[in-house]
Amino acid sequence: MNTPLNRRHFLRSSTACIALPFLESLGFRRFASAAPLPTMPKRMIFLAMGWGVTNESWYPDPKQTGADWILPEGLKPLEKFQKDITLVQNTYHKFSTDGHSGSTFWLTGANQYGVPGRSFHNTISVDQMAAEQFGRETRFASLTFGNPGGEGGHGGALSWSRLGKPVSELSDPVAVFHKLFSDEKTPLAKRQADLKRQQSVLDTVLDEVRDTARGLNKDDTDKLNEYLESIREIETRLAKENAWLIVPKLKPAKTIAEPGKGLGGEQEVKLMYDMMVTAFQTDATRVISYRQPVNSLLRSRGVNLDGHSMSHYDMGPRRQASETRDKCQSELLAHLIARLKQTPGTDGSSMFDHVSVVLGTNIRTTHMLDNCPTLLTGGGAGIKLGQHLVMPDAKTPLCNVWLTLLNGVGVKTTSFGDSTGLIEQLRA
Amino acid sequence: MPEPQRVFFKTYCVSCHNADKQKGATRLDDIPFVIANVPTADRWQKVLGALNSGEMPPEDEKQPKPEEKLAFLEALSKQMVVARKALADSGGSITMRRLNRREYVNTMRELLDVEVNPFDLPSDETVGAFDTMGSSLFMSSDQLEQYLKLARTALDDAIVTGPQPERKVERIECEEAANKQVRADYERTQASLRKITEWRKSGRPAKEFGFGDDTDAQLSETVLRGNEERGLRYLRDPLTKTGVLTPHSAFPQSITIPHNLAPGRYVIRARVAFPTIQEGERRFIEFGTQGDQGYPAELNLLGCFAVNGTPERPDVVEVTVNVARTGSRLFAIRERRHNTADGADKQQFFAKLGVPMETRQRAPFTPAPRLWVDWMEWDGPFPDQWPPRSHRAVIGDIALGDKPGPVEARQLLESFAARAFRGGSVRAPFVDKLVEHFEERVQAGEPFLQAIKAPLSIILASPKFLYLLEPTTRGPGANPERSSDALVSLAEPAKPKGNQQPALNRARLPLTNAELANRLAYFLWASPPDERLMSYVEAGRLSDKGILSGGYVNEVDRMLADPRIHRFIAGFTHQWLHMTRLDFFQFNPRLYPKFDKSLRGSARREVYETIGTVLHENLPLSTLLKSDFVVVDDLLADYYGMGEMRGSSFRKVTVPAGMPRGGLLGMAAILAMGSDGERSSPIERGAWVLRKLLNDPPPPAPANVPQLSRFGSKLLSARELLTAHQEQPQCAQCHRRIDPLGHALQNFDAGGLWREVEYTEFFQNWKAIQSKQVFPIDASGQLPNGPQFTGFFGLRDAIATREQEFARGLIEHLISYALGRPCGFSDQEMVESILNKARSKGMTLRAIIHALVESPEFQSK
Repeated sequence: MNTPLNRRHFLRSSTACIALPFLESLGFRRFASAAPLPTMPKRMIFLAMGWGVTNESWYPDPKQTGADWILPEGLKPLEKFQKDITLVQNTYHKFSTDGHSGSTFWLTGANQYGVPGRSFHNTISVDQMAAEQFGRETRFASLTFGNPGGEGGHGGALSWSRLGKPVSELSDPVAVFHKLFSDEKTPLAKRQADLKRQQSVLDTVLDEVRDTARGLNKDDTDKLNEYLESIREIETRLAKENAWLIVPKLKPAKTIAEPGKGLGGEQEVKLMYDMMVTAFQTDATRVISYRQPVNSLLRSRGVNLDGHSMSHYDMGPRRQASETRDKCQSELLAHLIARLKQTPGTDGSSMFDHVSVVLGTNIRTTHMLDNCPTLLTGGGAGIKLGQHLVMPDAKTPLCNVWLTLLNGVGVKTTSFGDSTGLIEQLRA
Repeated sequence: MPEPQRVFFKTYCVSCHNADKQKGATRLDDIPFVIANVPTADRWQKVLGALNSGEMPPEDEKQPKPEEKLAFLEALSKQMVVARKALADSGGSITMRRLNRREYVNTMRELLDVEVNPFDLPSDETVGAFDTMGSSLFMSSDQLEQYLKLARTALDDAIVTGPQPERKVERIECEEAANKQVRADYERTQASLRKITEWRKSGRPAKEFGFGDDTDAQLSETVLRGNEERGLRYLRDPLTKTGVLTPHSAFPQSITIPHNLAPGRYVIRARVAFPTIQEGERRFIEFGTQGDQGYPAELNLLGCFAVNGTPERPDVVEVTVNVARTGSRLFAIRERRHNTADGADKQQFFAKLGVPMETRQRAPFTPAPRLWVDWMEWDGPFPDQWPPRSHRAVIGDIALGDKPGPVEARQLLESFAARAFRGGSVRAPFVDKLVEHFEERVQAGEPFLQAIKAPLSIILASPKFLYLLEPTTRGPGANPERSSDALVSLAEPAKPKGNQQPALNRARLPLTNAELANRLAYFLWASPPDERLMSYVEAGRLSDKGILSGGYVNEVDRMLADPRIHRFIAGFTHQWLHMTRLDFFQFNPRLYPKFDKSLRGSARREVYETIGTVLHENLPLSTLLKSDFVVVDDLLADYYGMGEMRGSSFRKVTVPAGMPRGGLLGMAAILAMGSDGERSSPIERGAWVLRKLLNDPPPPAPANVPQLSRFGSKLLSARELLTAHQEQPQCAQCHRRIDPLGHALQNFDAGGLWREVEYTEFFQNWKAIQSKQVFPIDASGQLPNGPQFTGFFGLRDAIATREQEFARGLIEHLISYALGRPCGFSDQEMVESILNKARSKGMTLRAIIHALVESPEFQSK
């Protein structure tokens, strides 16, 4: 392709992956009248805890495997749902060597130093892999939630695009609410004109890139390509937005109130969970990732430590903080499971049966990057639930879990990250 | 790899992992001994990891002797350090880079005279490298949209249309709201107490009266009685008739500048006093903003001031703030304290009583008041002129007349783009398009000054603004059409460079005048070239040989003397000395009550201000290793126990005899970085000394090695904990070099204050301190392959003799920072040349910077 900047080529390729909304097939009207869909689509949720867990009280006894295991202290709040959760031990990312990158590689498994001469490199995250397939049919290909503090221990971002660039996050519950459910007040014609304007801005910049590229060597051109790729991504999104402009946002069966400002902590996470369920109900998206707050979670439990200090617990208040956080996370997950189960799906099934949920982080505890805490729930990926699975090989790639989930929800791929294969023991 | 190590490898590794036998599907007989590429390095890294973790050789196989293993590990780790550096060598080639976040903010400020709030942009700080490293500075679609958005906001702030906003003053008498609140709390307390009385009379379960259970009611009563008493005492205090008594640890007093007021410079004042201040006592208050989100007690600090006022003669303190269109407008003051101590008093108080968490959160709590605040006020805005500088920065010299149109728009856009592009070309077709955007807006009914913002923000998101461009093939004869083909097709993702060796010794082109000005300005100011530099560019004089020894050198001196040099000092030092560590941990407020956020801020600035002093006074670099002065403010002088100092500006003070300060090693910031906020860490401190002062970095800590602090339930001194390091060969290989350096600094506690003994606590569980113990400190140590010494003074003297190593380390980091690429083996000649030039001029930071910017490498691409 000698003229990559050919405008037509540009648009053609950017619209290629955009499908118009499947109004009827989606059961658009059925949803509005709260009738069940003929088939429930598969959906995924990835919840990043950030930092590690309390090593001593979060993991079940490795000797109690299979369906017969005792919930450890940190998971106790999930007692009611023990048959609905599966805990996997002994998985890790072989390329992760730095305990300070937070969740940056949790969903990717990439090698930070994979490209010589660069101090940072990342690859597509598992949620975005799913979004590439599922996202064609929904208003939002995926939703990536963050936290207002953008807390450092989580690293740069949780979700990474196919180009290995961070996907922007919605970190304010109020913004999430409006994005999902608010009616646009601006008239359609004006919104269409706005999009056209944005498109035209990109055209002008594109022309400048072309001039800038003159005289650059190979490395510099690669850099400038990142800029160009960014323009393209925006164009793709604008085109999709344009296609969906004429489709009104679906209203949740039960109305959900606009959240107050500055909630923080436990209340905020709970609300984000509630909005996830509602976003699925209205089929606004099918893939959600969430970089959860830690500091504000601790504050809401009366603990004045921040995530990093908490993670370097020894004994004393830091350990207490770590245990408090673990329990709080388990309580919140129990809330999410309950909500998913209450939400009806097709023919007696519930939303829970069609969703795959992961709660975890890529740090075991302090700087330990082995045996990543991994908790799976939901019936969406065909995972055998109620299990405590200890992989015989302590160096099982966490990407094998991701690969198993992807295949389970119907994203056909033979490898992901540094995966070596499916985890058969997980499959129901 | 030396022969004995090859034998070791063959004996203990290859015997099970070879062509015939591949245990664990691993083959090692074919690993090259020369680490020439990343895959080889990866394989060796795995070998290192397996040995380090003790995983290999397996227990049932022949085991190496500890000294054999030690020697092998040491050799291999060292080789890996070298290999890592070699593989990162760019061969002098610099990848084009975009402005990093700091530079972007500075550039917008210089261009528009407006502060942008960049927190939606990535911070660009990566581990182990500088934020000037082009190859690692990426761009994403989200970021590109942020640039457009930030530009738009900045232009909204910069361009004014109405008349000059009127200066206003609004004062709040703090007692009005406070007394109402305390009275309401008091009345609620009374109501609850009445319920308790009713409950006691009735003999029925407390649940019926709104309590959790009977125990809850009993505990609540204790709490409520305390609150009743405190509430009464507060309301009866005569000082609460005219002001507010703020408790030491409750929410601060605050005032809001209304969001409908124009952004700009405002002054916040408060009239304050400490009713119980003792003669000679030092007390400080903090100014800060409170976020809209999160927890009200956590301030973003703007300043910390000593207050000596009494209620008879209160002080009026003030702080000048730049109020942006977005961001917090809530300004607060409080007595200086730990952010995180908030609620801690309350929690502790109730925890002692055994009050459950839910009850605790309900209970109002007012600890003993300390600071008295009469009133707070805001005053402003104070524009420097009208229209403000920012407005003129955009409009420039363009005469807008009564009815400006496309002609004026074109003029304005052309001249703005020329400034924004810093010497890059402004093409006519680009301006044509910008004018089209303007006209489209005008047709939509927008007035001139509004319509112009759309095309202006496009300029501020264009590659020529966002990137530092140094094209290598442009010039006479270059075919623009052909070279634009260099943009690879987007359909095929760019392939990683793989194992390509960079072209070494490629003939380098000299930088153009404009490129040189940019490189210089972003190196020394982290900002664009100013008008004077650009005037040299226009005259073509900057890189002119004749000017080099005169004009250029003078220009560099001018830039070093400019206040903007602080952006270099802070930006470089923060990354060079790895000062992000200073913010890694919270300090336990109980153990380190004085090491709060204000102190941390002053401690950080001490490092910068000292380096600034060394630069401005042209002192030798060794001053940073050992000196008889410190550069401190009143807060730090108080912290170090240097007696009373008035005023919060930083200044040079002679260190009293025998006081362990003077030089980086005695600075609170450096020492605190070597701790986890609870205990000092000899390992962190020792490794830091090796890395930053002795330029002898130890290999990175292996992952997944258990922390020594988890050693069972015995209470151990730091030294006892670390002797465990000497027992295992895989630990000893590095720690025998690291630990002795750290132990020499053990007389400093986690917060960097002097101590004679080490104090440790052990918690049986999180609930209670089980035992405490005091250990004597053994601060004897030894430099790697060097002399023995004792304690801080001994270590400092020993290190002061290593000025060469220190200088070499600094130069390597400076090269990397200035050129935006790793400093590799191919740069050794350059390093030596800078070192020699600087040595002949007294080995000062100034001489090093001069030698660097005058080097051919700095002036070519």
